[in-house]
Amino acid sequence: MTTTATDFEILTRPDFALLRVRLRSGQKFFSEPSAMASMDPGIALKAALKGGVLGSMGRMFAGESMITSTYTAKQAGELMLAPGAAGDIVHYRLRGGRLMVQRGGYLANSEGVNVSAKWEGARGFFAGQGLVLLQVSGEGDLFFNAYGAVLALDVTSDMLVDTGYVVAFEDTLQYQVSVLPGLGVGARAKSFFFGGEGLVVRFSGQGRVWVQTRTVNPFLSWVYPYRPQKQRNQ
Amino acid sequence: MQAEILARPAASVAKLTLQRGETVVCEVGAMLAMSSGFSVQTSAGRKGGGGFWAGVRRMMAGENFFLNHFTATASGQDLILGPGLCGDVMHHRLTGGSLIVQGSSWLASGPGVDIDGTFQGVSKALFSGESVFWVKCTGVGDVFLSSFGAIYEVPIDGTHIVDSGHIVAFEDTLQFEVGKLGDSWLQSYLSGEGLVCHFRGTGKLYCQSHNPPSFGKLLGPMLYPR
Repeated sequence: MTTTATDFEILTRPDFALLRVRLRSGQKFFSEPSAMASMDPGIALKAALKGGVLGSMGRMFAGESMITSTYTAKQAGELMLAPGAAGDIVHYRLRGGRLMVQRGGYLANSEGVNVSAKWEGARGFFAGQGLVLLQVSGEGDLFFNAYGAVLALDVTSDMLVDTGYVVAFEDTLQYQVSVLPGLGVGARAKSFFFGGEGLVVRFSGQGRVWVQTRTVNPFLSWVYPYRPQKQRNQ
Repeated sequence: MQAEILARPAASVAKLTLQRGETVVCEVGAMLAMSSGFSVQTSAGRKGGGGFWAGVRRMMAGENFFLNHFTATASGQDLILGPGLCGDVMHHRLTGGSLIVQGSSWLASGPGVDIDGTFQGVSKALFSGESVFWVKCTGVGDVFLSSFGAIYEVPIDGTHIVDSGHIVAFEDTLQFEVGKLGDSWLQSYLSGEGLVCHFRGTGKLYCQSHNPPSFGKLLGPMLYPR
């Protein structure tokens, strides 16, 4: 099934990216729940389990909600979507290929796109992001989001990406999770135990990888000391 | 080495392109992505690391004890480096002399630059809102710094006043002292600036638009107790 291109624009990139979609009368659009920031009243919003109970549970294991919001334009209108975290939005046009998206990275899609979960086994586990990745296929438009800005990197031979920064990648690429190569045994242990570049994903083949320029964890560890201390007598 | 700063100013990263044999030293954890043609070494001592005590001083300055050395084994190898918190990244070219960098603002530097911790005095540490130890970069080469918020350059010839917590780095041709703002301690306190840093000399100063403790104190009371 071929769908016509979505009429959209990504605004205020990269720090506070917003997705504006102009829906034709009768057109449908899908997003993760709570992504809607504003919309014209001619658009009906319905929350449902999409892809049945099993499909929904798969999405849940991939760090997404079981519920998908479906927008149906009874009249032509405008829809504004935004992810929960401040950061970039990326558009990807699917043409029969497949894209793998990291835990929590899904934002929205047009008709013709199938979002499901794929068990990645131990590779997924070492990637530190859960055992399951989202697998997106079909023909249509997909929108994914990240924390910080997103850089698109074209892999022509090999590329190494720190596991925490991978947002999405084309499945024409092969990937393997390993300790940063080139380090001696002692240095590996140091790097591994003292934080930092312990684990990387090595991508090989031809295709594109999207990386985010920040992760949430450093911010969380930075803010921790500012939390008030519990009183002993409470 | 070619350098490009991307996604400025809130989520900046440095994209470095290295030729065969070129080396970059960076803090552990700064690497986001890289081409496969690099050899990587983790050390406290080699190539500009300055040995064990330099490692300890770096750690006191809010940096990691260890440094990662990335050496390109082929030409045209890309290395993308970024800090942990939101903010900008900037490039400074050292041509001899030293750059004194606030703890945790040093991101990476070229092989001709020595990185060491430096002591700026207890009173400055207590009252300037900065750490006791600073990172001192000496030599000839490229230095990459990160900031909390945006970064701006102040060329100083004479004197200049900077609020505590806003210093990123300064050339060592400058000195600073901690003191009150204006003539009256009361005014200094009421203006919300408290103690400020008085710079003197001729050289470049880099400041950051935001100051981490101010943001932390704003967020803290809204969080659950730990």
